[in-house]
Amino acid sequence: MLILQDLFDVGKLFCDVLKLSGDKLRVAVVGFGKMGILHAGILNVLPKVQLVAVCEKSALIRRFMKNLFRNVLVVDDVGKLSGLGLDAVYATTPISCHFAVVKSIYNLKAASNVFVEKPLASNYGEAKELCDLALRLGGVNMVGYMRRFSATFRKARELLNQKVIGEPVSFSAYAYSSDFFGIDKNSKVHTPKIGVLRDLGCHAIDLALWFFGDFKVNNAKIDSLIGGESEDSAFFEVETQSGVGGKFDVSWCVDGYRMPEIGFTIEGSKGVMRVNDDELELNLNGGERFRWFRHDLKDDVGFWLGAPEYYREDECFVEVVIRGGSVEPCFETSAKVDRLIDEVLVKAG
Amino acid sequence: MSSQGKVLLVGDNPFHGISHLSQERSRVRGDTPTNPEYAARLIGLSVENGADGFMFSVSDTTLSILDILRKNGDNDGLRLYAIVPYAYEYVRLAGALGGVPGLAKKLIREIVFSGNFRAVASGLNGVVRSDLASLVKTYLLYEVSRVRRSAGKAGLESVLLHQLITDLCLGLSLDWVFKFYTEFLLKSGITPGFNTGNFALLVEKLREWDIGLEDVVIAAPFNKVGFQMVPSKEECEKALASLPKPNVLAISILAAGYLKPEEAVDYIAGLPNIKGVAVGVSKERHAIETFKLLKDRLS
Repeated sequence: MLILQDLFDVGKLFCDVLKLSGDKLRVAVVGFGKMGILHAGILNVLPKVQLVAVCEKSALIRRFMKNLFRNVLVVDDVGKLSGLGLDAVYATTPISCHFAVVKSIYNLKAASNVFVEKPLASNYGEAKELCDLALRLGGVNMVGYMRRFSATFRKARELLNQKVIGEPVSFSAYAYSSDFFGIDKNSKVHTPKIGVLRDLGCHAIDLALWFFGDFKVNNAKIDSLIGGESEDSAFFEVETQSGVGGKFDVSWCVDGYRMPEIGFTIEGSKGVMRVNDDELELNLNGGERFRWFRHDLKDDVGFWLGAPEYYREDECFVEVVIRGGSVEPCFETSAKVDRLIDEVLVKAG
Repeated sequence: MSSQGKVLLVGDNPFHGISHLSQERSRVRGDTPTNPEYAARLIGLSVENGADGFMFSVSDTTLSILDILRKNGDNDGLRLYAIVPYAYEYVRLAGALGGVPGLAKKLIREIVFSGNFRAVASGLNGVVRSDLASLVKTYLLYEVSRVRRSAGKAGLESVLLHQLITDLCLGLSLDWVFKFYTEFLLKSGITPGFNTGNFALLVEKLREWDIGLEDVVIAAPFNKVGFQMVPSKEECEKALASLPKPNVLAISILAAGYLKPEEAVDYIAGLPNIKGVAVGVSKERHAIETFKLLKDRLS
């Protein structure tokens, strides 16, 4: 009797979900971890969006979610998203699953517009295949490199484009967090298998591509600080197509970085720029000095969850899906990050 | 000690090594404010100069600070505003312990060993029936008992839902969480509170969901430059003016150190329905000067 009632409830919800949205964009989220929850929360307040379904493989989480949401369908498999008339799907699963999930979304025609949390895939081969698939099937595609929507990095790029520090000569970048600082080698703590480069360093690489264009890796070193197979820190040197030399330092074992932080020091022919998640500083050769915090850079958003950049990112994706066109960073752009990470891994041996 | 006007609270951000201006600034501050002995001394100094209480995220660090205040006899009459859960710590732990299952195991172990049988029973019920309300109740019982154990003679006035959780539930339109949370705490004799970064929307939704705005306190950013006032300074001020009584605790009044205390206080003094303010201090001189100023201008 209970099963029949459950079936009836699911059937009714399915029908409700099909007719609810009206003019709104119908969106589903695959993977209800911290990023899935965050995007779902933001999408749900965007006036042009209806959160229609959530796909989560954990039976326990699904059980709780069914009690949590009234008008959202909860399913266990991407295949069950087909036929819901979805306009877009957010893939926010662990990185190792991105490839399979996005492929399924496209192949099963769950939706033609796809947003994937960063990085696009676990390696360049997978990323390339997803790019080809996206190109063949059309639609808007985007990868969640949210720092492109940060007030400080946006301003930095604007000033670089205006040549305020002249022509870039060299740069150094860091991506640090304290997530695994002070963890000893015998600890039971797990570091993500994907490694610090794809988990954290990808942000710095993406921003460098955005600032300076494509580059090649000259040399690289990767260390395990916690032990085992754990990839905890990386240092590598690069050179852009216009001959600008760059250095990257990436680690999740650095003290004083409660929140992950990305930063750049860029030397130009007319001055030096320092930028990170919180502030931007310019020191020009003439002695002039400028400094901006988020406060100074119009960091307002319509809804604040996590950080303002997540809202801007989702708003941007949704707007482009509605009006058509393409958005950056798309799969093609983001695949370069995966290519460069593979290059670093190869150079590091 | 107590000012006749607004409640003046010491905020705990510096004690967790947090600066919303920049992480660089908290690194420059060093470890001193995160030392519980030093933090307790700062709270003591703040109270001597006009502070009424302490607003804090419930964590091992802040509970240690309360323990020290209790042992030193500095907690008598202190008004406590506790924020739960300490979301960023849980997010970090989830990453380190292999995701939500690892974090859940750790929390279950802590609740069981806390000896709070009401919490354990409610938790079992929650797991068996997949009932989130029972789990929320379990968690609240556990956190309130932890705070009360460390608080001693200090009075627990309010338990506020952490900003990340409030805003997540707000985003997902989980009205039942707000209703359940409010009813449960009111029954427990504690004022329910919400810490939010989306003040205007929260006020609108609490009204829509028939949750008595006069029964809750709301902690939200209010400052002269509109920093973190979402969606805008004007909308937040409008929502503030619409409240039935002063029940807002203004946070980020210095816009994370961007504003000088004098200019920050003038703005707050001109706002309606402000119940009090919470300000973090990281040095002894800051504690003395800031709370003297707040007492003078906001009393």
